[in-house]
Amino acid sequence: MDSMIRVNDVSMKFNLGIEKNFSLKLFFINFFKNINKKKEKPKDFWALRNISFDVKKGEVIGFVGGNGAGKSTLLKVVSGVMKPTEGTIEIGGNICPMIELGAGFDMDLTARENIYLNGSILGYSKAFIDEKFDEIVEFSELQEFLDVPIRNFSSGMTARLAFSIATIVDPEILIVDEILSVGDIAFQQKSENKMKSMIGGGTTVLYVSHSIQSVKAICTRVIWIDHGKMVMDGKPDEVVKAYLKASNLE
Amino acid sequence: MLLNLKKYSFLLQQLISRDFKVKYKRSVLGVLWSLLNPILMMCVMAIVFTNVFKFSTPGVNYLAYLLTGLTYFNYFSESTNLAMSSVVGNFSLINKIYIPKYIFPLSKCLFVGINFLLTLIPLYAVIILTGTGLNVYHLLLPISFVFLFLFTLGMGMILATISVFLRDMFYIYGIVLQILTYMTPIMYDITMLDPRLQFVLKLNPLYHIITFARTIILYHQMPSATSFLACTVSSLVSLLIGLIVFKKNQDKFIYYV
Repeated sequence: MDSMIRVNDVSMKFNLGIEKNFSLKLFFINFFKNINKKKEKPKDFWALRNISFDVKKGEVIGFVGGNGAGKSTLLKVVSGVMKPTEGTIEIGGNICPMIELGAGFDMDLTARENIYLNGSILGYSKAFIDEKFDEIVEFSELQEFLDVPIRNFSSGMTARLAFSIATIVDPEILIVDEILSVGDIAFQQKSENKMKSMIGGGTTVLYVSHSIQSVKAICTRVIWIDHGKMVMDGKPDEVVKAYLKASNLE
Repeated sequence: MLLNLKKYSFLLQQLISRDFKVKYKRSVLGVLWSLLNPILMMCVMAIVFTNVFKFSTPGVNYLAYLLTGLTYFNYFSESTNLAMSSVVGNFSLINKIYIPKYIFPLSKCLFVGINFLLTLIPLYAVIILTGTGLNVYHLLLPISFVFLFLFTLGMGMILATISVFLRDMFYIYGIVLQILTYMTPIMYDITMLDPRLQFVLKLNPLYHIITFARTIILYHQMPSATSFLACTVSSLVSLLIGLIVFKKNQDKFIYYV
């Protein structure tokens, strides 16, 4: 089996000055400023710079790096939310991006209606949701509240529902951005077990976490990113050791 | 775009039914408001324009004339307004999950479309009660719905794109829509006006679409070939420009929303 994900020389540029031209007023102000001052160079910020790597089927890849290193941007580029400024990405399977739970929940709708709405946003078909509906409800333990609008839910209940919907699939590629535990202690345990079984089931996983322990425990390969550049790519122990050393934590 | 429309049809359906549920969930009369609203608006405008301004439309019933224009124009104004804010309003989704972005304006235009079909009930009630009567050409009326939908969708996509980059568009469009309300012959007949002004008003595609409908409903005639042509061209051009503008810019949305 060849690679599931192929990231070829991907760079991602953000224009930090972009926020300025939000309104007509500022547009005109800037317009006249520019006449006087000639052209100001826009501030470019490279969130990712020449990142390349191949992911084989079944690999569990952890990403480490400080805040703002570009880990989440990389996941967004891989999951198709953002188009890379340069480079290409090839994907060889269906992706389940667990970047944000409960995206698109509507507070006015009931839990039942939200399961269908959120499921459709995640790309599930109607037949699939129909089939898995009971399983979702059972896992979330919200049987009694199915026909209650989720505006009346506690945040923990909403998170449980969201987690149950997101993890019902058997994706070929799973993208996880630090959302292992939600809900109360009992549910946290349950959700962690669920995540572990999803990750352990032969799926290809991209995993971002600041918890070094969980990265070491779960991943088969670790990539260290710093300031948008790839610093190291290799065995978890080695990369984590180097990363901790660089962060003066060892 | 069309290929993955099939793949995302369930999402589209869910978004539309969400809008529908949310709109009516907390009101006592619910869907009845869709029927009552145009009737009430028609009554207000009819009282003002027939009594205060002494408007009349010779040969045809003024109420039916007014309501035909209102029904079509309301679809346009409501759809474009919702479509315009649909991309900005769904930022949290666009930023987190890959969804083809055209889904948002499209779902709004379809959602208001369902409402539009409901408002045909009061429209036909007025057509019958005022003695305007039916004719065989009413079978052609759905074509005007298609014209209206395509034209509106195109404009909606253009507005959605602009509003991402320029938030002032929400305020600007409010005024544009106000101007358009008077520039479109909803409450008056275009023949009342100066010929030069008539020429300007005829550049408005909505005029042609509404006239298409009125020719059938009020004048019991088959719309002319020119009318067909004007509607087809304006709706297709609007849709094409909308698609191109939207497609060209959609990858940049994420940096601005």
